[in-house]
Amino acid sequence: MRVSVKLIATYRQLLPPGTKGGCIQVEVAPGSNVAQIISRFGVPLDDSSVIVLNGLTVPLETPLSDGDTVSAFSAIAGGCGCSRTELLSSQRC
Amino acid sequence: MFGWHGRLLRIDLTRGETSAEDIDPQVVRDYIGGRGLAIRYLYDEVDPTVDPLSPENKLIFATGPLTGTTAPTGNRYMVVTKSPLTGALAHSNSGGDFPTWMKRAGFDMIIFEGRAAQPVYVWINEDEVQIRSAEHIWGKDVPQTTDLLLAETSPEAKVACIGPAGEHLALMAAIMNDKHRAAARSGVGAVMGSKNLKAVVAFGRKNPAFFDDAGMREMSVNLSKEVGVDIKKGSNLRIYGTAYVPQVTNTLGILPTRNFQTGVFEGVDQIDGVALKEKYLVTHKPCWRCPISCGRLTSVDDEKYAGKGEGPEYETIASLGSACALDNLAALTKANYLCNELGLDTISTGLTIAAAMEMYEKGIIPEATIGMPLRFGDGDAVIEMVRRMAYREGFGDQLADGSFRLAEKYGHPEMSVTARKQELPGYDPRGSQGMGLNYATSNKGASHMEGDVAYEEVFGVPLKIDPLTTDGKSELVARFQDAFALIDSGGICVFYAVRYVFSREMMIWPVRLAELLNLTTGAAYTPEEALRAAERVYNLERLFLIKAGSGGEHDTLSPRLLNEPLPEGPGKGKVVELEKMLPGYYLARGWDERGIPTPEKLAELGLAA
Repeated sequence: MRVSVKLIATYRQLLPPGTKGGCIQVEVAPGSNVAQIISRFGVPLDDSSVIVLNGLTVPLETPLSDGDTVSAFSAIAGGCGCSRTELLSSQRC
Repeated sequence: MFGWHGRLLRIDLTRGETSAEDIDPQVVRDYIGGRGLAIRYLYDEVDPTVDPLSPENKLIFATGPLTGTTAPTGNRYMVVTKSPLTGALAHSNSGGDFPTWMKRAGFDMIIFEGRAAQPVYVWINEDEVQIRSAEHIWGKDVPQTTDLLLAETSPEAKVACIGPAGEHLALMAAIMNDKHRAAARSGVGAVMGSKNLKAVVAFGRKNPAFFDDAGMREMSVNLSKEVGVDIKKGSNLRIYGTAYVPQVTNTLGILPTRNFQTGVFEGVDQIDGVALKEKYLVTHKPCWRCPISCGRLTSVDDEKYAGKGEGPEYETIASLGSACALDNLAALTKANYLCNELGLDTISTGLTIAAAMEMYEKGIIPEATIGMPLRFGDGDAVIEMVRRMAYREGFGDQLADGSFRLAEKYGHPEMSVTARKQELPGYDPRGSQGMGLNYATSNKGASHMEGDVAYEEVFGVPLKIDPLTTDGKSELVARFQDAFALIDSGGICVFYAVRYVFSREMMIWPVRLAELLNLTTGAAYTPEEALRAAERVYNLERLFLIKAGSGGEHDTLSPRLLNEPLPEGPGKGKVVELEKMLPGYYLARGWDERGIPTPEKLAELGLAA
């Protein structure tokens, strides 16, 4: 069966190069769950990620159905320790 | 005193007099500063039934003890007054540089009262305070005003001012600082305009000493390092700014679209952070001493929509973008620049235009009244409506009163998506139930800067919870509202604070925020005491609302959110189940069934009459 994986913002870089629109369709074995498909892309499965199935909050062990969309994004707010002067004068961040 | 100056500046615009006053140290400790200190003074000095645009209303600028310190994001100030949009309280928040400069001028707070006979601005150079004529800058936009005032005061000073929208008393007029930052919501710019006060310019070198200088510096460095570790993992806010959020809310089916007729926008890919970064981003533009740096300096070289400035932020993308079904990022960014230049809150501006678009398309407002077609998705029409609103020109005069009054006027209240007459931010509460309760009960009307449980329901910060359930939301919203009152009173940014200076335990607990406050001020707050002070602030605001006639009977939402189910997306079929959450919320607050704080609760908080 086929499911869509949509990775948002910083997680887009976890998709294969050339993937358009942050979304890819993948073939999965029947009985696969949310955690299995999302970990294929290296998305952290801890609290630093938000992972939803068809936009719904579900346990990561939830089995997938044909046509489902699994989406994920980082919950990290973050920034760097650079000063404003450093930020404005360089592109290193 | 440490952390606080213990001094306020009072400016009587009617008499043209200024004076400095000491602030009672016990009052400072009990209300922390910023939003808390300001409501204590507003409550004591302003009759809550007063006309918000009359000289009897007062306008308060307030910094917190952490403003201007080494604490990460210690760069905020609050503008507190009675709101002409909601008829309740305004407490609008802004960062940038101005708040720190205001604090360094030597005052925790400035109270503007009365009304100047002619346009004026105030130049605060530490203890030299002058009320100067602003006749020559009245009518100028925000960038022009800022440049002119820096030239005639000091290039090292910072400016907060209104644009034409504030002068024309548009009820969603903002107070802009450092050109692009806004204390945007609830019409604070209209109050400033009603006082004939065009601008405030501040400069100074007075920093209050820290109670524990070495401890404060050490903690500040460690906190910044912690943020630095996260950047290595990848930061959405740093890389995309808040513009990364439309993809998140669209995925959850809560991105306001076509005036909240749905929560899924087909054009989201054209207006999100990835598109903004690829097309128009120039560089990051952080507020003073911010390690996150979510601000974006952008430039559009498209011939028709050329301009440069800051933004658009998420809220602007949701309001002027998806809510108006506008998927042209150049036009959307131009509309954003125009709001900043003319001094308008993008949320209320966008949502009011969206309401007018729906009423136009449904034949409720005739084209002759508007003077032009006003279809969803028409970027040129959005830009033209923004301009007309700021000047109250033609149909813009009706728009400038906000969507609530517009929809009432045409007999379709369901087409104004508001709480306490203020337009909703970009989280459709039908798919984010806790946000629904928060919007309904917020002291400042619908807001994402008060009790924003979207942090948990949407962003998983600090923990991901199910946005579609009402379970546990009553207590959580009350706690988040108090936590935000604490952040706003302390003087740091919510983006930073919710993640880094609260612990996850007990529905977010201000362990490290209390520590920062203590190192700065020596107040020796326990986390419980700090939250209790915030609860005191929240309850005092509530007392002001009740006296203003905006009490429990107004703890509700637009009919659309309560009666019209989401037509698609993850929340399909859902309305806001407010009746399930509100009684528990009152109980959690210690309020009676009408939403009035009980005598016991007031006694507990030291607010008994």
